[in-house]
Amino acid sequence: MVNKSEDFILLTGRSNVQLAKDVAKLLGQKLHEPISLFSDGEIRVRVPVSLRNMHVFIIQPTAPRVNDSIMELLLMIDAAKRASASEISAIIPYFGYSRQDRKEMPRVPISSSAIANMITNAGATQILTIDIHSQQQQGFVSIPWDNLYGSYALLPMIKSLKLKDLVVASPDKGGMIQATGYAKLLGADGVALVYKERDVAVNDKSGTSAMIGKVKDKNVLLVDDIISTGGTIVNAAVYLKERGAKSVRLAIVHGLFVGDAIEKIKNPVIDEIFVSDTIEQRSEVKNIKKVKIASVAPLLAEAIKRIQTGQSISRDLIL
Amino acid sequence: MKIFSGSSNKLLAEKLAQNLGLELSEIEIHVFPDGERRVKLNDIVVDEETVVVQSTATPVDQNYIELFFIIDALKRSGAKSVTAVMPYLGYQRQDHIFRDGEAVSLQVMIGILESMGVNKVIVLDLHTIKIPEFFHIPIDHLSALPQFAKVIKENGWDSDSILVSPDMGGLRRIKEMSEFLSGMSWIATVKDRNLDTGEITIEKIESSVSNWSMENLKGKRALIVDDMASSGGTLIESAKLLKKSGISEVYAFVTHPIFSKDAPKLLQDSEITKVFVTDSVYVSEEKKFPKLEVLSVAEMIAKEIKD
Repeated sequence: MVNKSEDFILLTGRSNVQLAKDVAKLLGQKLHEPISLFSDGEIRVRVPVSLRNMHVFIIQPTAPRVNDSIMELLLMIDAAKRASASEISAIIPYFGYSRQDRKEMPRVPISSSAIANMITNAGATQILTIDIHSQQQQGFVSIPWDNLYGSYALLPMIKSLKLKDLVVASPDKGGMIQATGYAKLLGADGVALVYKERDVAVNDKSGTSAMIGKVKDKNVLLVDDIISTGGTIVNAAVYLKERGAKSVRLAIVHGLFVGDAIEKIKNPVIDEIFVSDTIEQRSEVKNIKKVKIASVAPLLAEAIKRIQTGQSISRDLIL
Repeated sequence: MKIFSGSSNKLLAEKLAQNLGLELSEIEIHVFPDGERRVKLNDIVVDEETVVVQSTATPVDQNYIELFFIIDALKRSGAKSVTAVMPYLGYQRQDHIFRDGEAVSLQVMIGILESMGVNKVIVLDLHTIKIPEFFHIPIDHLSALPQFAKVIKENGWDSDSILVSPDMGGLRRIKEMSEFLSGMSWIATVKDRNLDTGEITIEKIESSVSNWSMENLKGKRALIVDDMASSGGTLIESAKLLKKSGISEVYAFVTHPIFSKDAPKLLQDSEITKVFVTDSVYVSEEKKFPKLEVLSVAEMIAKEIKD
C-alpha cells in the first residue's frame, strides 16, 4: 500500500524556518531542511529521505532575500519531482513579486505571473498562499491555487480587545474589500477609506490625499495585506488621527518592515500593530512593545492536514 | 536588432553592442527596498530581433531572476525573437544528480528559459561538453581557447612550454588547446600525497608525451588551462607544485573569473606570473590585480550573433 494518509513529507528552505518548525510541530511531523550553499553562492538541494509516492509539502515564503527564496523553492520542487513524489504542494505564505501582477505601463514584465509559471513548470502540483495581493493571480497558472487569509490568525487577537466604536479603514482603494471583510467579522460601526494617488513612474512614493467615511472619536483599525517601508499606512494613520480618530491600530498580514519602516511604525499615533509571521520577524520588530505577532502556523497546519486527507479547506479555514 | 543588458555585466554588453554597430537599448532596473526588482524596457521591440546579455555568476539567483523578467518583458512587448547571451551559465556544475535526493539545478534554469520562449542561447566554455544536449533550443557553445592560443603565440610562448590541466576534468580542454598550438605537449595532473612523508607532489595522469618522466618539466614554461577560477586554490596549488618539479615560469589561462573575495590577493601573491581571463564575468575594480589580464570575448560573440 502506498499513499497512506500519514505518508507526507515537510520540506522548508531558509526563508522562514521558524514558521515551518511551528507547522511541523503542530502536525507532529519531521521537518527537513535540504538547502545548503556552495562557496560561490549557488544553492544546493539534497533531500535526505525517500520521497517516492509521497505527498511533499514545501513551506517557503518567497520573502527577502526574495530571489534566493524563489530559487530555493524551485530547486526543492525539482528535487521532489525527481525523487518521484506523488504530489508537490508549494506552501507560499508570502508570495514575493505579487505586487507586479499586471502591466501597469508598457514594456514591463508581469513578474508575478512569470514566477507562478516557473513554480508550475518546476513540477508543483498545487500552490497555497495567504492573502495574495490580488486574487486574479490564481489564474496565472492552471494548477490548483488555494488562497487563505491571515485574518484567521489576526482576528482572535483583535476581537479580544473588545473595541467599541470601531471603524475599519483601508489605506488605499484596493484594500476596501479586505476592510469590509474585517468590519463584518468584527461587527464594526463602519468602514473608511484613506486614498492616495500613486504615480507608478516614480517608484514607491506614497502620498495621502483624502478620505471617505467618519472616524471622529472612533477606534480605527487600519488593515492592509503588506507593509513594506510603512510609508503609505503610517501616513494614513497620521491622517486619521488628524481627522479625530480616538485610536489607530494596524492589522497587516505580511510584515516586510524594510527601509526605515521600524522608525516609522514607532510613531505614537499608532497604538498597536497586529502582524502575522508569514514573513519571519527580526528581533528589532519583535522588540517593539506595541507590535503583536499572530502565528499562521495553526492555519497552515490545518490546511495541510485537510489537503492531505482530502477535506475542504474553504470550509472553516476561510473566514 | 535591439540589444539589452541585465545588471551583471554591462561592460561586456556595451562592447558587444559596439561590435554589432548598435547602441545598447535603455532598460530600467529598479530595486525596491524589499529587494524586489522591477524591469522596464525603454525601447520599442515590436517585431524586433532582440538580444539580452546576462552573466549568471554570483549573485546567481538575482541575476537569473532579473534575466527571466527581462525575457518576460521582451516577449510580452512583441519581440520577434530573443537570444540570451549568457557568457557564464550559472548552476552549470549542477548538471546531474550526484547523490540521491538532489535537484538538477541546471535543468531547472534551462526549463525556465525554454518555457519563456527564448529562441537561442549563446554560452562560453561550459564545464562539461554534455551540457548543450540538455537544451531543446539552439545553443551556441563558444570557446575562449583560440583567443588564449593567440596570446600564447604573440608572446612567443609556443616553444619551450607545456600545457597543463590542473585536474582530470580538464582533459578535453587541454587536448583542444594543444590542437590550437600545433600539437604542443600537454599533461593532465593530479595532486599526490606521499603517505610516509606527507609531501604533496604533482603526478601525471595522462600526457601527450610518450615515455613521460617528470624530468620533462625541468626548465619548461607551464601554461595552465582551466574553465573557471573561484577561490583560485587549484591554480595556486598547481603552480606551486609545478615550480617544485622544476618548471621555470607559470602562466594561467582561465575563461571565467568568478573570483571569490580573497582570490585576487591570493593569485597576486602566488607563483603564477600572469593570469589571463575573459570578460565573461565582470571583474570589478576592487578585484583587479597587477598580474591579471582580461581579454574581451565581445568580438567573438558579436560574430556569432551576426552569423
